[in-house]
Amino acid sequence: MSGSDAAPPLEERALVFQGGCVRLTLDLRVYRLTAVQKASYRFAEHFTAILGAPEEHRLGVCCLFRPETREAEALDAVRRYFQELLDQELREQIGEETRAVRALILAQAFSRTDLIQRD
Amino acid sequence: MFQERKAFEPDRDYRLAPFRFSPLDGSRYVVTNDVGEHVVLSREHLVAFVQRTLPPDSAPYKALKSRHFMFDRQSRVALDLLALKYRTRAEQLAAFTGLHIFVVTLRCDHSCQYCQVSRQAEDRTRFDMTLEHADKALALVFQSPSPALKIEFQGGEPLLNFGLIRHVVERALEMNRARGRDLQFVIATNLSRLSEEILAFCRQHGIFLSTSLDGPQALHNAQRPVRGGDSHQRTVDGIRRAREVLGAQAVSALMTTTRASLDRVEEVIDEYVRLGFHGIFLRNLSPYGFAVRRKEGQDYDVDRWIAFYKRGLAHILKLNAEGYALREEFTAILLQKLFSPQGSNYVDLQSPAGLGIGALVYNYDGHVYASDEGRMLAEMGDFSFRLGHVARDDHAALLTSEPLLSHLSDTMPEGAPMCSDCAFLPLCGADPVFHRATQGDSVGHKAFSAFCKKQMAVLRHLITLLEDDPSARETLLGWL
Repeated sequence: MSGSDAAPPLEERALVFQGGCVRLTLDLRVYRLTAVQKASYRFAEHFTAILGAPEEHRLGVCCLFRPETREAEALDAVRRYFQELLDQELREQIGEETRAVRALILAQAFSRTDLIQRD
Repeated sequence: MFQERKAFEPDRDYRLAPFRFSPLDGSRYVVTNDVGEHVVLSREHLVAFVQRTLPPDSAPYKALKSRHFMFDRQSRVALDLLALKYRTRAEQLAAFTGLHIFVVTLRCDHSCQYCQVSRQAEDRTRFDMTLEHADKALALVFQSPSPALKIEFQGGEPLLNFGLIRHVVERALEMNRARGRDLQFVIATNLSRLSEEILAFCRQHGIFLSTSLDGPQALHNAQRPVRGGDSHQRTVDGIRRAREVLGAQAVSALMTTTRASLDRVEEVIDEYVRLGFHGIFLRNLSPYGFAVRRKEGQDYDVDRWIAFYKRGLAHILKLNAEGYALREEFTAILLQKLFSPQGSNYVDLQSPAGLGIGALVYNYDGHVYASDEGRMLAEMGDFSFRLGHVARDDHAALLTSEPLLSHLSDTMPEGAPMCSDCAFLPLCGADPVFHRATQGDSVGHKAFSAFCKKQMAVLRHLITLLEDDPSARETLLGWL
């Protein structure tokens, strides 16, 4: 069987572009809500992500595209959105681990700053 | 006391120092820390670094360690170094305002379509700065604690009010006798009114001239109409005469990019070479003044500008390889931010923004603005960046004014959505005036920001050249 005849992977088959929208269900154990929000903000140029209310570990997302958007464009944008979700989740992990260190570095950097003008 | 050799062996048990990452291309990421040091990694190496599975003897591990992206048993000194470097980069903030722009007149003899300052006809002297306002502005200049002060005269065409320039220079030098600041003067002029008297005055006081040169004759004249249609000839003559009297280094030129020049970047660069310049700033058109009203600014396509910049940089690198030393100034600023411990003082790429802190603008009518673009926005009816008036406010009042403080604190990239986790943050800035002009909000949504798109594209291109093209890297590092 040639590559073009192969069935698309499960994740891609799950993406359906209908009524200008691709509906996703994200697992919040994989992507935390902050990561989803940040990825959605970053992708605002491509689509408007309408986030539903979290239910247990699941979060519904409707990726709403502009009316002129073609299906291939929409699906490609959603695939890149998933890559961005991974990046955002990694950023959240790094942020969690380094937040205190960053505060320490900044405190050290400005520890000798005289904020009061002495005459 | 010396430690055992074992204590210095590479260690998997490290802790991460704060860093940000962004995609460079389809397979690599740019990783930066708060002081602007950067490493390019594959995603595999990035994840391995975070998960502590990166082999300690690998090149990425060594690069990350040497640039303080981690600290371990023997390298906790990295934290002190990071703090020191952060402080060094922020040090310039303590000096406050170094650049003071005097808009001595809005009158101009040119009628450029892209004019960003809404110039007035030559005979409308009510658009001249008064002597009284100039003196009050000078008093403000010397209230700034900055040890280095640059006074730049702008317009309109400032030489149409040369009498006031003469007064300000002489008065400033007199005031500086007791203060001993490092004082510089620049006149931003089209050179069409450059007389022998003006040149002699400039030579006497070490005044620099900055002029506009948009490219070869036909392009320049089409973009910069003047009575007689000979703007290019006047500029070229002015450059030659100024160099003869003041020396080559005292005259610089700036270009403005328009839709007409977007496809002609090589010709523009070649004109700078023909006239003996060794620097060119491939600028994009600002969305202010007549430019936006004439739709030129609104329709301006940032993608086309990015292509223009890439082609221009390639041409400049080729000229350097052929033996002509020519520097692209915007690239040089970014290189400074990438490699210099002090970063760059370039006002448009600062965090907090360079508004007020980097520059103050004293308009012809006495109003004080936080930046040159801020007064251009005011000419369009938006006074968000007006800080006060020379007759009413002192330096402290201007620098603590509510409009300035709120713009500075609201727009710091470290707290702005998208910017806060962008690897290019330490190499970038906020540009609140641009976002106010284009989105009606000084923070702006960066997903829709032409500024953000331009910055990311240029930085990605530059870092790719540094990584993948040894010849380009050698030339680029020579610009530092």
